Amino acid sequence: MSTVLLFARLKVRLLAGNLRGDAQRKLGFVLTLVIAAGLAALGFLLMSLLRLAPGDIAASLVTLAFASFFFGWMIVPLLAFGLDDTLDPAKLSLFPLRTGRLAVGMFTASVTGVWPLATLVVTGGALVAVASGPGGVLIGVPAVLLQFASCVVASRLVTTSLSGALRTRRGRDLLAVSALALVLLAQLPNLLMNRGFSDPTALLHQMAAVLRWTPPGLAAHALADGGLTGLAELALLALLVVVLGWLWVKALSRALVTPDSSTQAASVRRGSGLVGRFLPDGPLAAVVTKELAYIRRDPRFRVGWASAIVVTLILSFTVSDPGRGGGGQWTPIVISCVGALMIALQSGNAFGIDGRSLWMNAVAFGSERDLSTDLAGRHLAGTLVAAPLITVLAVTTGLLTGHPTMILPAMTAGWGVLGIGFGVGSVTSVILPYTVPDRMNAFTGAAPGQGGLAFLSALGASAGMALLLAPLVAGLLLGLVWVCAVAPFYGLLAEVLGRRLGAKLGFARMPDLLAAVSKPT
Amino acid sequence: MTDAVRTHGLVKRYGSQVAVAGVDLVVPAGSFAGLVGPNGAGKTTTLSMITALLRPDGGHAEVDGFHVWRDPVAVKARIGVLPEGLRLFERLSGRELLLYNGMLRGIPKADVEQRAGELLDVMDLTGAADKLVVDYSTGMRKKIGLAAALLHNPSVLFLDEPFEGVDPVSANTLTEVLRRFTASGSTVIFSSHVMDLVERLCDWVSVMSAGHIVAQGPLAEVRGGRSLNQAFLDLVGGTPHDREAGLSWLGARPEDAR
Repeated sequence: MSTVLLFARLKVRLLAGNLRGDAQRKLGFVLTLVIAAGLAALGFLLMSLLRLAPGDIAASLVTLAFASFFFGWMIVPLLAFGLDDTLDPAKLSLFPLRTGRLAVGMFTASVTGVWPLATLVVTGGALVAVASGPGGVLIGVPAVLLQFASCVVASRLVTTSLSGALRTRRGRDLLAVSALALVLLAQLPNLLMNRGFSDPTALLHQMAAVLRWTPPGLAAHALADGGLTGLAELALLALLVVVLGWLWVKALSRALVTPDSSTQAASVRRGSGLVGRFLPDGPLAAVVTKELAYIRRDPRFRVGWASAIVVTLILSFTVSDPGRGGGGQWTPIVISCVGALMIALQSGNAFGIDGRSLWMNAVAFGSERDLSTDLAGRHLAGTLVAAPLITVLAVTTGLLTGHPTMILPAMTAGWGVLGIGFGVGSVTSVILPYTVPDRMNAFTGAAPGQGGLAFLSALGASAGMALLLAPLVAGLLLGLVWVCAVAPFYGLLAEVLGRRLGAKLGFARMPDLLAAVSKPT
Repeated sequence: MTDAVRTHGLVKRYGSQVAVAGVDLVVPAGSFAGLVGPNGAGKTTTLSMITALLRPDGGHAEVDGFHVWRDPVAVKARIGVLPEGLRLFERLSGRELLLYNGMLRGIPKADVEQRAGELLDVMDLTGAADKLVVDYSTGMRKKIGLAAALLHNPSVLFLDEPFEGVDPVSANTLTEVLRRFTASGSTVIFSSHVMDLVERLCDWVSVMSAGHIVAQGPLAEVRGGRSLNQAFLDLVGGTPHDREAGLSWLGARPEDAR
């Protein structure tokens, strides 16, 4: 018990310590609290509303919800949000703690926090949804607690057993990119539903049946069935949690004594000099070369680009569904604009990925002009990759939807949107810069405590782009296709003006910019 | 002769904490200067403010007579910097990092390539030149960082803890390069708390403690006949003879009591 209290207090201390003396971090934390509380309340409400649904559908839905929590807890901490980045078992390995006590402590630390609490609240909603009578509640409470415990233990087990791989650079790079596969996977049911598996109830029951004997399935059934079966299921679930816990303790004691596996450093190819051949020698060529290398090599860039492409592909696949007549003639334009927007949104925090290395630019830049050149180089490198992609996108959607006449307008509109995105991004990059952590979770927006800032930056970028896009959209709504021909010039203008403004603002506050992107992660 | 670096009352506060409380640092041109002080004395903060990486809350700094915040172009062309930590563009190879750095400063590519090749050679990094910086060891990072700082031939070089965590062989390479650099009339300013090293390398020492300069001048003058280590301890008040009373348990074994 003292261990539990000790670790709970340690975690709370760490959370509080993270917030000290930084208004932005406090703001971010408050934002996180509000979002978590909102989600918890909403989730609880939705879960309890299942009471009104027919019994079997409610039970299946609860099973699905429990399963998604279970797998979510396993996967999300690996990828994102730094749910528990404060307690690394390696940090505790020098203390004379037995592995058992360490496990209890780590478990306590894992459940102390905003998101675990929110999960518990939402899981508790299932009590209202499917438990029947006082007996049901009596079985239901331990079922909810066990479901929650299984989530946390499974999550810890996965992170701990992968920690060896996660410590090498290559392992982290790989994980970051493989996360994309999960995004695709998550879209699968959605696509299936769209593709004519038209009976959602049957699909629901099928999925619930598959999950029947998994830990979340057991918990959900114990809740819904009650009685002796429920008790037996609870006992089985408790056993499973204990086994998972035991595996975790084993993994933990192994991870603590396994050394850092060294990274076999491979050489990179010497630059092909393509950029040097087409661009005049100087800072612009330097930035373009560096930026292209980063797009190729940095997992955060790879994930950003790949997810932009994947989301666009999914969207185009859904919208230009031949089964529904292939979409209207505007579809190609919409798709290529959305694709351009997704790509351009990445430039909303241009200096974030440079992070702590940005000083190297800062000590070289003596004027606004230098910063403007830097931004131009980043945009040029982005365009070199994005423009062909948008072209391909426009051609394929144009052909697939059967509106080849729209290919050219779609292409030019996409380029224009890209320019607008770069222009707006230049300004948000210097006004609302934040650190992008260099960890395995390449999906993470920001360093601890900067989440709110990242959110504001994305919001600002979206608002700015929406504002600048309005004239184009208005023109298209009126049926004026020629605005697409103007779009690239409009985009170029937006890029130049945005870049000038960004350089002016950014150069004046270079030290602050540097501090904002150099936060510890 | 003008001073390479001169600051007037530099102040930096973090909230209620004063990190640098009015520093008047002077370093004559052509000297190999050491900035020494205990942890938290404000060495890094001072160097960051002189190199325009951090905005001071008060006072100003001059490099070669140019005002750091009013004349950034002139200052930035003259300084080379190796900041604390190992913050470099991780996903570039060592050679690409040097090329990027040189071209960013507007040096023609052919010149940059030649200089980078020579620097890599001197730093004994030719074999690792095409590996990513992210896979470099601490010593290699310090060396490539120094190469990047030297590439545009600065007249004043600022190094924050350049020898921390560096093996003796790499440290020897670093000192050789720096000695050659100062012999040509350029200035090196580096922070350290390894007194032996400062004593061996430097001809000018500035001692910082709790945000102030407590002593400054030619090495012999600051040392005053003592070893630099003793002089340093006397200056920052680190003599521990009256603090031993509270540690009677330290070193005592239970079996001794029996």
